[in-house]
Amino acid sequence: MLAFGDQGPRRGYTLGVLDAFKFRLNTLAIVLIPVCIAIDWAGHALATTLKLPLFLDSIGTVLGGLLAGPWVGGLAGLITNFISSGTVDPIAAPYCVISLAIGIAAGIGGYYGWHKTWPGRIALYVLIVLVASIGSTPLNINLYGGQSGVAFGDTVIYAPLVKAGWPTWLAAYLDELSGDLPDKLITVVVGILIFFGLPNRYRALFSVWRRSPAQAEPAPAS
Amino acid sequence: MAGGLSLYAEGHSLLHRAHPLTKGVLTLSAIALAFTAPSATWVAGVLAVLLVLVAFAGVIRRLLAVAVAILLPITVLLFVVQGFANASNRTVVFGLGPIVYYREGLAFAAFAALRIACLVCATFLFSFTTRPADISEALMQRGLSPRMGYVLQSALQIIPQTLEMAGRIQDAQRARGLETEGSLRRRARAYLPLMLPLVLSSLVATQERAMALEVRGFGLPVKRIARYAFRDTTPQHVLRWALALAVPAAIVARVVGWR
Repeated sequence: MLAFGDQGPRRGYTLGVLDAFKFRLNTLAIVLIPVCIAIDWAGHALATTLKLPLFLDSIGTVLGGLLAGPWVGGLAGLITNFISSGTVDPIAAPYCVISLAIGIAAGIGGYYGWHKTWPGRIALYVLIVLVASIGSTPLNINLYGGQSGVAFGDTVIYAPLVKAGWPTWLAAYLDELSGDLPDKLITVVVGILIFFGLPNRYRALFSVWRRSPAQAEPAPAS
Repeated sequence: MAGGLSLYAEGHSLLHRAHPLTKGVLTLSAIALAFTAPSATWVAGVLAVLLVLVAFAGVIRRLLAVAVAILLPITVLLFVVQGFANASNRTVVFGLGPIVYYREGLAFAAFAALRIACLVCATFLFSFTTRPADISEALMQRGLSPRMGYVLQSALQIIPQTLEMAGRIQDAQRARGLETEGSLRRRARAYLPLMLPLVLSSLVATQERAMALEVRGFGLPVKRIARYAFRDTTPQHVLRWALALAVPAAIVARVVGWR
């Protein structure tokens, strides 16, 4: 019925980055995408209700990437952005490329199992921050002349730096980074916590997931 | 929190009846043109055309109410920051002690604000006149995989459900003594206890949904037939191509020297 298994990566085989993209999405992975989109929304809605000064709108994207690979993560990010730009925040539309890239980055990280080791987790965080900040800066420069649209970063970081004669792109990058550093930290931490909160049985349903040699074989269903 | 996400406003204008693809192309080209146009005057022209179309669709009051709430904060921020700090600032408008405002920054802020207004109006023109289900339906008729069509449609349904569940979980956790107000640290610590149960329960439900879909032939490699086809006319077809070609034409004009 649900086709799993043979598309997954093989053991004892060096994994190239492109291998992370080479499998057909099964029905479960397709069904996971809207759920990840809803998690993105709920994450943002909860951050707004708790009046946290962060967006936290890509937890579902990162989780989708970790669980089911770059396609699920990327599509979840992209569609989250499409829906939010069509309903509550049209200015978010150009940033759909960034959401796509964050999902793909998380997917590649998940494919290599980065979320299972401490150096890997830090690498995942750094990668996602770099993708988000480097990608958003040119968009910020085109849209707002370099501001990030967040009042704190714009008035405390961007304006004084430009005033002090720093180049616009550098001020724009640091402004964007000031938002991304805490935002993506919480996103990655919550994403990984949720990943390890899921039952093994559930994670194993996705072809991108591999059991580490230390983990025991799951008991056969009785 | 609950309720539909869609901004769609029922109506019978020409824009409401147009093929979703035509409106999509209109929105995208209007945004692209606003961002290639060289001066604030041209951008204001694009914005005027968009507003006329919105008025024609009969949704202008509702659209302005939503658009102003989005545009006002960012416009204020642009005027404050750019007038104060912009790399090309030379001419002083006025100064209050250490705070000096410059004309170049103000001009840039006006230009950027107009472009963002175009982006917002063009997007809302589409969302106010197009039923969300029609978007994926029209795309599927044009060759989008039905699996992706499912993703689009079900996301629109699942989001309100999940937000509603978030509200319930919040009430439940509060009843157990979780503090959701107070200092930033306290509020931040409430995030995980609210998020985890929500995510775990919605993820575990996916397996059942996948099976239900499979049983109904979701994964079968067969050709799907649409329940109804959207009316597409030759003028719309011509309009779509004209709008789509206007964007590269504008880019070429900019390169050649449109000022």
